[in-house]
Amino acid sequence: MRFFRQLLFTSNSGWQSFWRNGGVTVAAVLSIMLILLLGGTSLLLGHALSQVLEGYKQRVSVISVSVADGTPLASVSDFMAELRERPEVTNVRFVSKDEELRRFASDPRNQQLLQQLDSNPVPAKIEVSVRHLSDVSTIDGLARSWRGADRTNPTDYQGDFIANMVRLSNYLTIAGLGLFAVLLLISVVIVMNTIRTAVYHRRREIEVMKLVGATEWFVRRPFLIEGWLTGMIAAALAVAVLLAIYRPFVARFQQDLFFLPLAYDPSFVVPLGLEMLALGSGLGLVGSFISVRRFVRL
Amino acid sequence: MILAPRFNSRPVISLQHVWKRYPNGTLALRDISLEVPAGEFLFLVGPSGAGKSTLVRLLIREEKPSKGKIFINGLELGRMKRWRLPHFRRQVGLVFQDYKLLPRLTVYENVAFALRVLGESSRVVSARVSEALATVGLEDKRRKYPSELSGGEQQRVAIARALVHAPRLILADEPTGNLDPATAWEIMQLFLRINAGGATVVMATHNREIVDMLRRRVIAIDGGQVVRDDRSGRYHEVLPAAAVHL
Repeated sequence: MRFFRQLLFTSNSGWQSFWRNGGVTVAAVLSIMLILLLGGTSLLLGHALSQVLEGYKQRVSVISVSVADGTPLASVSDFMAELRERPEVTNVRFVSKDEELRRFASDPRNQQLLQQLDSNPVPAKIEVSVRHLSDVSTIDGLARSWRGADRTNPTDYQGDFIANMVRLSNYLTIAGLGLFAVLLLISVVIVMNTIRTAVYHRRREIEVMKLVGATEWFVRRPFLIEGWLTGMIAAALAVAVLLAIYRPFVARFQQDLFFLPLAYDPSFVVPLGLEMLALGSGLGLVGSFISVRRFVRL
Repeated sequence: MILAPRFNSRPVISLQHVWKRYPNGTLALRDISLEVPAGEFLFLVGPSGAGKSTLVRLLIREEKPSKGKIFINGLELGRMKRWRLPHFRRQVGLVFQDYKLLPRLTVYENVAFALRVLGESSRVVSARVSEALATVGLEDKRRKYPSELSGGEQQRVAIARALVHAPRLILADEPTGNLDPATAWEIMQLFLRINAGGATVVMATHNREIVDMLRRRVIAIDGGQVVRDDRSGRYHEVLPAAAVHL
């Protein structure tokens, strides 16, 4: 009972201090909100980019092996069986010369070229889907050493493109994490300074609390509550702004950059909101914890 | 009466060869040894900067001695863990020259604050605050804010707050320093009543008239040292008549 009365007293005190500390609190909430907004936007962009990259990855994780004209069907079957046994391969499919020609003909840009042909020049293909993007080069090497592969253009493997994409993805992840770490640090420092100001404003009250025998953590608790409130309210505002702009932003993006497969993903919104609220609360608590440990001592 | 006298043979305060040197090198106290038995009224006198306030700060463990030992009710303050400090401070009533009242709280709330931080129930808070306000004669001002009170009344609120834990030791640092002589005398009457109730009172003061009139134990400090300890003393040392005529 005594503990709950103390908790009520400190919660009340923290809440009052949050509002009394007016100007500094508003500045801190807005600063942290902007930082979390930046962080949240980068998370959303990262998610959108990973959606786009995933689409590309799925596309380039299929390698086509051109089969030289005249290769016996038995040889093709043997090679396909060999590929299916490999752990990195998820699917192997044979595309006949006729099917490949139909595919070629379906592209309007090839119509003129088709009219000049009197036979079928496109080779049959073996389409191999791999588990990981990095496995494509292994299959490429295997296909090039197969006797039945077309000598002039054995596969459609674009080593540089894939390597660049993997590298870009890694760089973006590292840059995102770095930016995130810096933003977190800035937020913690902002909360620390806000609490330091609150401690200064309430120094008389703190002094009296110490003199009448309040425990150290009893004196510190209102500031922790204040820091938590600052982070939480900033996060709630940032989530509200993100929710308001996410859908119109995606709609506009789809309109202007229709060739990129970016889509509104409602399943990402709820976890993002919860993560940002947790992050805001955590930042507020960590910042105020560091500050009270430094500035509130018996 | 709010104070419960508990006498025993052990001194309430005992200082054994206490030295205090601040980090900047200032030597504030040198080799202070003294004992204060339970129920005593003691004046600490001396010029500004003599070390009186440092001694008060050491007695509430705001500072630790550089050398020597300080015992309050048998507890050695220098070795006391930080987490035990709040419990220790609840046993000591503190009164300061600047009252240290919270301006946003009423008289009642200021006194109740000392109990609320401990999580006492409203029933206990109400009973003990009323008793403390009755002791200092401020029951009718319970809803006033400190800014609506005179200096003497504010000091009485501070005394009520110090009494609300029913302490056996009252430490007062220049409690009449901001008051006119008549009000200072009223405050002293209050301290005398508290002392008569059994509490030990240690008061650092510059108020010569009061010290001379009350004729209680006087410890004079100068240059960080105890230069005089009179059982029934005056503010200034009274030299023997022969010495005066020399």
